[in-house]
Amino acid sequence: MGRAPGQPLLAALLQHPELGVTVSFFSIALVFVALVPDKFPTLPTLYSILTLAGELGVVSVGVAFLMISGEFNLAVGSIYALVPMGVAYMMMAGVDMLLASLVMLALAFAIGVAMGYITLKAGIPSFITSLGFMMFIRGILLAVTGGFPVRMPHDHWLAFWLNGPLNEEGLRTSALWLLLLTLIFAFILDWTPYGNWTYAVGGSASTARELGVSVPKVKVLNFGVSSLLAGLAGLIAFSRFRVVDPTLGIGLELEAITSAVLGGCLLSGGYGSIAGTFLGALLVAMTRVGLVLAKAPAYWYQAFIGVLLIIATVINHFVVKKFVAPG
Amino acid sequence: MTHLLEMRGIVKRFGRVEALKGVDFHVGRAEVVGLVGDNGAGKSTLVKIIAGVYQPDAGEIYWEGQPRVFRDPHEARQAGVEIVYQHLALIDLMSIERNIFLGREPVRRVGPLSILDKRRMSEEAWRVLQDIGLRRIRSPAERVAKLSGGERQSVAIGRAMHFKAKLLILDEPTAALSVRETRRVLDHVLDVKKQGVSVIIISHNIYHVYEVSDRIVVLDHGRKIADVPKEKVTPEEVIKVIRRGAPLES
Ligand SMILES: Nc1ncnc2c1ncn2[C@@H]1O[C@H](COP(=O)(O)OP(=O)(O)OP(=O)(O)O)[C@@H](O)[C@H]1O
Ligand SMILES: [Mg+2]
Repeated sequence: MGRAPGQPLLAALLQHPELGVTVSFFSIALVFVALVPDKFPTLPTLYSILTLAGELGVVSVGVAFLMISGEFNLAVGSIYALVPMGVAYMMMAGVDMLLASLVMLALAFAIGVAMGYITLKAGIPSFITSLGFMMFIRGILLAVTGGFPVRMPHDHWLAFWLNGPLNEEGLRTSALWLLLLTLIFAFILDWTPYGNWTYAVGGSASTARELGVSVPKVKVLNFGVSSLLAGLAGLIAFSRFRVVDPTLGIGLELEAITSAVLGGCLLSGGYGSIAGTFLGALLVAMTRVGLVLAKAPAYWYQAFIGVLLIIATVINHFVVKKFVAPG
Repeated sequence: MTHLLEMRGIVKRFGRVEALKGVDFHVGRAEVVGLVGDNGAGKSTLVKIIAGVYQPDAGEIYWEGQPRVFRDPHEARQAGVEIVYQHLALIDLMSIERNIFLGREPVRRVGPLSILDKRRMSEEAWRVLQDIGLRRIRSPAERVAKLSGGERQSVAIGRAMHFKAKLLILDEPTAALSVRETRRVLDHVLDVKKQGVSVIIISHNIYHVYEVSDRIVVLDHGRKIADVPKEKVTPEEVIKVIRRGAPLES
């Protein structure tokens, strides 16, 4: 959004939802640099942050896009496990990984569309619909596998493309996927009519409809996209670990919402940023890596993210109320 | 020549409430129709049917002589119906320019992609703001949430005026406006009429309606109780009809 002449710089900056996350990202990075000056500011650390952020970030971008259109998808964690699980089984049955992946991604998209369709047709909160899907899919995964992990039966070039090492120090292709998808969805959101409709249906569905936007079409499509990206992220994780556990991705939906909210998205929809969400996911991953390097016990990670989330939300809320939408 | 819009026996129910109980209504070409009546008379419901927001439970609608019911607001807009809703229909969290072009964004085609023509959006939005006289606003990139009630109303009216319509509907367009802003809106109604546009104007201020209308229609509890050319009544008589809820016996 352009700066109006005469508008104070700070007030103009505050119009950008990604301001908060940029500030917190760099402040926390500085803290880690101070804590572990020898190990934190190095390329291998950056690469391991990117590796962690890759999978989380791809999920978060889809979740944020849907959140901006005013809906939730809590089933992303289950879809994140379902897609690679299906691919693993198909590969064992002799299906090529590429074909298997396309089939499972199509299924993921269809699940999202079904979720959106039910939500909008019945007029119930997507929080509930997607919670139902989350439990349903997870239950099926556990029942079919008996709770045991499934291995990738053989190597495949696609696994390298999805998440292969790019250099000795730990940079992986997943970082490129995250970057690419962030750019694509940031572009769609801010530079296309579809993005305008996405903001609008989240800001006020009834008004968007009165102005001729097809609210169900936009929302249902965004449900599909969030599920598709979750499935893709699942394949990216599968390509790294070469094994998929039926419990993979439990709690991921909440981490994705955390990234989106840290990145400046409003839980109530109509406002947010894909670039901010990208930084949000990076911030979550950086915190995890940084705390490990600082030799803090692993449990501190959650506690720290929890505090961060609340502080960031309080600040974002204040900024939106005071500078973006006063009155 | 056929009327631009003709509605016959329109019924609309909301659950057990019958908001419209068989209303006949028409608008001629380049005609300004004043639609008045007490709170809850069914005025907004009637124009929302014209705008495709609601579909009637019974009755017939003819648009330019052809039977036609708009299934959604998009269809109505495409056919040339512009409406300023009583609640203005602006999205607070979005900028003025994005609000103005919502649902019909100007795009540049780059290969298979349709990219928002942001330059055109802000230039045209700026012109809309100037035309409607919103001098205080510094940029069309400002969010609607920052505007006062009158400014919002002006933006909503400006948006409707910007897209050349065949039928312009104004539902309480002057409620939040100052005397000078009201003047501008009324002048604009007469302007577009001169360009051949038909107008439906709804207001509780009978004098505003009376001044610009060619014909006055009074609704009461979902029924039409008067439909008279302006020359045949005085504003005081219109007020009396509304107050008594029954036609004037002549
Ligand atoms: N969406 C809706 N759901 C239920 N009832 C409605 C709805 N819209 C309107 N009504 C009812 O229909 C009747 C007519 O309402 P309408 O808004 O058309 O009146 P109006 O003439 O525009 O009144 P006002 O001057 O107050 O704007 C009222 O009894 C109202 O309560
Ligand atoms: Mg009304």
